[in-house]
Amino acid sequence: MRTVFDKLGLVRWLTDPLAIPFMQRALLATLLLAVAAGLLGTWVVLRRLAFFAHAAGTATFPGLVVAGPWGLAAPIAALGAGLGFAGLLARMTRRGTTSADAATGLLLTAALALGTILASDVYESGTAVDRLLFGTLLGLGDGDIALAAAAALAAVIATAALGRTWLATGFDPAGAPALGVRAARGDRLLLALLALTVVAVLPAVGALLVSTLLVVPAATARLLTGALAPLLAGAVALAAAEGLGGLLLAYHLDLPPGPAIAVIGGGVFALVALASSKRQTVS
Amino acid sequence: MSAASAAAASGVQVQDLSASYGSAAIALREVTFTATGGQAVAVLGPNGGGKTTLFRALLGELEATTGSVTVHGTMAYVPQTERSRLDFPVSALDVALMGAYGRTPWFRRITAGDRAAARAALERVDLADRAGTRFGALSGGQRQRVLIARALVQDAHVLLLDEPFAGVDRTSEEAIMGILAGLRAEGRVLLIATHDVEQARGWDRVLCLAGAQIAYGPPAETLTNAVLEGTYGEEIVMLDCGHRAVAIQHHSH
Repeated sequence: MRTVFDKLGLVRWLTDPLAIPFMQRALLATLLLAVAAGLLGTWVVLRRLAFFAHAAGTATFPGLVVAGPWGLAAPIAALGAGLGFAGLLARMTRRGTTSADAATGLLLTAALALGTILASDVYESGTAVDRLLFGTLLGLGDGDIALAAAAALAAVIATAALGRTWLATGFDPAGAPALGVRAARGDRLLLALLALTVVAVLPAVGALLVSTLLVVPAATARLLTGALAPLLAGAVALAAAEGLGGLLLAYHLDLPPGPAIAVIGGGVFALVALASSKRQTVS
Repeated sequence: MSAASAAAASGVQVQDLSASYGSAAIALREVTFTATGGQAVAVLGPNGGGKTTLFRALLGELEATTGSVTVHGTMAYVPQTERSRLDFPVSALDVALMGAYGRTPWFRRITAGDRAAARAALERVDLADRAGTRFGALSGGQRQRVLIARALVQDAHVLLLDEPFAGVDRTSEEAIMGILAGLRAEGRVLLIATHDVEQARGWDRVLCLAGAQIAYGPPAETLTNAVLEGTYGEEIVMLDCGHRAVAIQHHSH
C-alpha cells in the first residue's frame, strides 16, 4: 500500500507542476532550446568553440543592461554586444601576438565588469542583474518562445545542410578545401548560427549560464558515444532531460531554474565521466 | 571516372612559380617542372623548404606571386595523419566518404554509388574489415591508408601526399608503397613530399626545394652530392660507403 502511495507521490511530483500554464510555457521553451542548443552545442564541442561560446554569452551582459534604458529590444542589444565581442576578438588576435584564449578571457572579464558597473552605478537597475545573468525560464514572453523556435528550426536545417561541411572542416582543416568543401563559408555560417542560439538561450538561462545548455549536454554525450548521429541525438535528449529536471527542481524547491539546470547538468556530466573512466579501467 | 581516362590527360605543369603568404617574404621561388600521367615525383627538402607552400599553390589556396600552375585533371590532398583530429566521431568509412562531399550538393544525401565507391576504396587499401572502426582508434599507417582511400573516392588524377610515411610502421609502409605503385600504373600523377632521400631514389622524378628549386629530374642523375648539399645545406652528412649522400634531419620541435 505504501509503495503505491510513494509511486503516486512521485508521479504527482512530476505531473502536477506541468498542469500550470507558466510551467507548460517553460517546458515548451526548454524543449525548443534543447533542440537548438543540443544540435549546435555538438558542433561547438567538436570544433572546440566551448570557451568562445561561453564568452560570447557573457559578452551580451552589458548589451542586456543598456537595452531597457536605451529602448532597444533585448535580443538586438544582446546580438550587438556579442558581435562587438567577436569583432574585438578578431582584431586582438590578428597579429598573432595575443593568443585567442587569452584575448577571450580578457574580453569576457571586461564585459562582465562593464555590465556590472552599468547596472549598479549608471542605470541603477540592480535588481534586474540576477535575471540577466542567470535567466528567468519561468517568465518568458511570446517573443522569447518565437526566438527559441526559430533557433531550433535553424539548427535542424543547418545540421542537415551543413553537417558534412562542418564535419570535414573540423576533422582536417588543412585538407577540407581540397575536398571541394566550402570550409570558410561553413565556418562563417556556424558562427552566425552560434550567435543566434546564444541570443535565444539568454532569456532562459542568462548571460553567465549559456554553456549550461550549449556545452554541457553535448560534452556529456561525447563521453557516451564515438559516432556523430547518436552524439547529436544524445545532446538534444540530455539538454531536454536536464532542462526538465531543472524546471521541476526549481518549482519544488523554489530555486532559480537556470542555476538548477546548471547543477543537474554538472552532476550528470560528473556521473557519466566517473562511470566511463571506471569502465575503461575495468576493460 | 575510370582509371584509363585518368591516364589519358592528367598532368602538372609549373612554370617559374613564386609564392608567398600574404605580405610576408616570398616562401618559394623559381619552381619549374612538368609531371605527366603515371609519374611519381618525390618532393625533397628541409622543413620550411617550401614543400607545403608548393602544395598549397598547386591547390590554388595560395596565389602565385609570379609564374603559373596548370593542372590537368582533378586534384586531391592527402594530409599527414597527425594533422587530423583523432578524437572526432568518424569511422574509417565516414572519412573515406568525405571524398564524395565535394560532388554532393548540400541538399542531397550521399548516393549509394558513392557509398559503394568508399567501400571499394577501403577494400583497395586493405581496410575493408575496419570500415566501422573509429578513425582515431586505427594505427598511424592504417589512418594514412584511410586518407589515401578518401583521395581515391575523390577519383583524383593528381594526388599530393604530405609525408605519407611519417609515423607509419614497416608493414603499413610497404602496403602504402604498393598502393602508390598501383595508382601510378593507372596513370595518375603522384607528388610525394618526403624526408627520405633513399626512398626518393625509387620514384620517377625528384624535385629538390630549399626556398627555391634546386633541381628537378630523374633521381639517378639529379641526386648528386652537390644537389643534396644545396638542398639540405649544413644538415647534410656525407657517408663514404656506397658513394651516396644521406640527409640527416635535425628536428628542432
